[in-house]
Amino acid sequence: MVLGLLGPSLVLIALFVVGPVGYAIWLSLTNKTLTGFGAQTPEFIGLENYRRLLTSADFLHSMGRTGEFIFFSAIVGQFLLGMLAAVLLTKSTVRAKGLFGGAILLPMVVPEVVASLAWASMLAPGQLGTVNRTLDAVGVTPLAWLQEHPMASLIVINTWRGIAFAMIMFQAAIEGISDDLIEAAHIDGAGARKVFRYITLPLIRGPIFLFLLLTTITTASVFGLIYFLTRGGPGGQTQVTSIYIYEHSFAFFQLGLGSAASVIMLVVVLVLGLTYVRLARVEV
Amino acid sequence: MARQRSLAIFAAALVAAGTLAACGDAGDESDEAKGPVTLTLLEYQEPRADAVEKMLPDFEAAMTKQGRDIKVKLIRDILPDDQFKTKITQQYNAGEAPDVTDYGASFVPGFAGAGYLLDLTPYLKKWSEWESFYPEVRDQIVQPDGKIYALPHEANTQNLFYRKDVLDKLGVSTTQPTTWPELITRLKQITAETGKPAMVLPAGSTWGGGTFGEGFLNVMLGTGSTLYNTDSEKWVVESPGLTETFNLYDELTNNDLLPVEALLNPEPWQPTKYQAFPAGELPVAAQGTWGWRYDWGPEGAAPIPGLLEKVATWDYPSSDGEPYAVSSVAFSYEVSAKTEHPDEAVELAKWLSSGQAIAEQLVAVGAAAPRTGIDDIAPYSSQPTLIETGKQLATSRSFPPRPGQDQIAQAVAEATEGILTGKMDGAAAAKAFAESAKELLGPDQVETATS
Repeated sequence: MVLGLLGPSLVLIALFVVGPVGYAIWLSLTNKTLTGFGAQTPEFIGLENYRRLLTSADFLHSMGRTGEFIFFSAIVGQFLLGMLAAVLLTKSTVRAKGLFGGAILLPMVVPEVVASLAWASMLAPGQLGTVNRTLDAVGVTPLAWLQEHPMASLIVINTWRGIAFAMIMFQAAIEGISDDLIEAAHIDGAGARKVFRYITLPLIRGPIFLFLLLTTITTASVFGLIYFLTRGGPGGQTQVTSIYIYEHSFAFFQLGLGSAASVIMLVVVLVLGLTYVRLARVEV
Repeated sequence: MARQRSLAIFAAALVAAGTLAACGDAGDESDEAKGPVTLTLLEYQEPRADAVEKMLPDFEAAMTKQGRDIKVKLIRDILPDDQFKTKITQQYNAGEAPDVTDYGASFVPGFAGAGYLLDLTPYLKKWSEWESFYPEVRDQIVQPDGKIYALPHEANTQNLFYRKDVLDKLGVSTTQPTTWPELITRLKQITAETGKPAMVLPAGSTWGGGTFGEGFLNVMLGTGSTLYNTDSEKWVVESPGLTETFNLYDELTNNDLLPVEALLNPEPWQPTKYQAFPAGELPVAAQGTWGWRYDWGPEGAAPIPGLLEKVATWDYPSSDGEPYAVSSVAFSYEVSAKTEHPDEAVELAKWLSSGQAIAEQLVAVGAAAPRTGIDDIAPYSSQPTLIETGKQLATSRSFPPRPGQDQIAQAVAEATEGILTGKMDGAAAAKAFAESAKELLGPDQVETATS
C-alpha cells in the first residue's frame, strides 16, 4: 500500500534525480568527450579525472573563488541584509512596509539575464554607467568596475538578488515567536539588543541554518549572472566552479572531466549541508 | 498432436509475417526511390540564411530538370558562434543534426574526428569543379586522417586595416611597414598626436575565439615558429615565436597603443571596430575581408561613408621583414554522417558552392571566393576588394584548423588578458599560456620547441 502510494514519486525521483547523478558519476570515471577522435572511443579511466582536477591549479582556484563568492555574497551579504530587512519589517514603528518589502522583493522576480544586463549597463566604465555617473557627481573618479573589482561587483549583485529570500524566511520566523516571550524579557529588563541576541536568534536558529543551507547550494550553482557579466574573467578572477564546469563540458566538450568537477562540487556542497544540519540540530 | 499443430501454425504465421514485411520493405524502397526527398539545411547567421533562402527555389528547379525531386527545408537558427557550436555538437551527438549545415572551418576537426561528418572525399574526387578550388584552400581542409569533410564556400584574408585619411592628416607614413618595430614607431606617433590608443588587436577573454584567430595567430605566423607539429600531432606551447608574440602584446599595452579598457569589456568590438575606427579615433585595426561589407560597408554594422577612399590595408609585418596577409577558409558546408540522403545532401552543398549561388552568398557576407570561375559572375564581379582578396590567397600565410584549437584559443585569451590587466609581462604570459594549454589539452597533447 505504502509502496503503491510512493511508487509514482519514487519512479520520478529515480528517473530525474538518481539516474542523472548515477550517470554523471559514471561519466566522471571515463574520458568521454563530444568532439575529436577520442569521442568515438570513450574509455573507463578510473579516478584519473579526479586526480587531474585535484592537482589542477585552475580547478582549485575556481573552488577558492566559489568559496569566496558564497561566503561574502550569501553567508555575509544576504544573511546580514536579509536579517536587517526582516527585523525592520517586524517593527511596528516602521512605516511604508509594503513599499520597503516590495523594493527588496523586486530583484528576486527579475530574470537572471535581465538583471545581468541591467547591472552591466549600470557598471559600465567611464561616464557611460549609472554608478560612475552618480559617483562622478560627488567627485569620485569613475572606475571600470567589472575589470578592476570584478569579484566585489558580483558579490554586491548576488547579495542584491538574494536579500529577498533571506528576508522572507527570517521575517516568517521572527513573526512566529510568541509575543509573551518578548514581553517577559522586557519586564525582566532586557533591551532590544538583548532580546534579539538571547531570545530571537536562538529561537530562529532552525530557519537561519535552513537559509544558510539553501543559499549555499543556490549560490554554488550561480552561473548566468557571472557568465553574462564577466565570463569568469578578467584573468580568471571570477572563474567560479560553475563556470569551470561549463567551459569544460560545453565549450571544450570534455564531459568526463566536467562531470568529475560536478561530482566534487556535489560532495563539497553535501558536506557543507550536513554540517549546517548538524549545527542547527534540525531534523531533515 | 495439438502441440505440433500449434507449432506449424506459429511457423506459418512467422513465414507469412516475414514475407509481408519483406514486401512492405520493397514497396517502401521503391517509393523512396521515386518519391520526393526533403533535405534540411541549417544556417545560423542572418545574412547567410537570407542569401541561401533566395537560392533554394533555383536549386530545386535545377534538380527537377535533372529528373530529381529534391526539396530543401531551410532551418534558420540564428545564434552567436559559441552557442551555435554547443547546440550543433549536441545535435550531432544525439544523431539529430540537419542533413547539411553551414559553419566555420575551425569547427570541422573536432566534428570530423568524432565521426559526425560524412566523408566527402569520394564525392569531391568525382566532381569536376573541385579542381577549380585554390590548392591552398583544398590543402587547408584536409583532416589528419587524410580525408575531407567540408566543402568550403568562402575564404578570407586578414590584414591590418588603416584609416588613410586620418594618417595622412597626422603626417604618419602609410607605406607598408615591414617589421613590428617600424609599425610600433608609427603607432606611437599616432598616440602622441591624438592622446588615444592607435590600434585594436583582439586580446583578452571577452573577444572569444577572435583573440586567437583574428589577432594572436596572425602575429605568430610572422615569427617563424611552429604552433602545431604535424608529425607528432601535438601543439607546440613553448617556443621563441610564442614568447615574441606575447612580448609584442606587452609592448603595445605598456605604450598605451591598445584600447585596454575596451578590450576588457563585454563585446569589445563595439567600442573599437564599430565606434572608434569608423569615427577615425582608432586608426589601425586587425580585420578580415568581412570588414569591407559586414562591418563597414554601406549595409554593415558601422558604415564608413567613402569606405574605399578612407580605408586601406597593410599586410602584417614579420620578423624576417617580409610582410604577409593571413588567409583562412571561412564557412563551409558539412553533411551529417547520419543523413538518410547523402547523395542529395552533397549535391546541395556542391550546388551552393558553385556559380550564381556562391557569388550571391560571397557578396552577402563579404568573403572572397575559394575557387576560380566566380570573378566574372555578378554581383561578385562588382566587388574589387573581394576579388583582390581572392588573388592574395596564393601568397598569404595560413594555419589550418587543428583538433584542440578551442583550448589553445582559451589559453591565449587568458594569457593576453593577463597582459592587458597589467598582471603579467610577455615572458610571464608565455609561461602562463604554456601551463594553461597543457592543463586544458592534457600533457600528452603538447610539446616544446626551441626554434
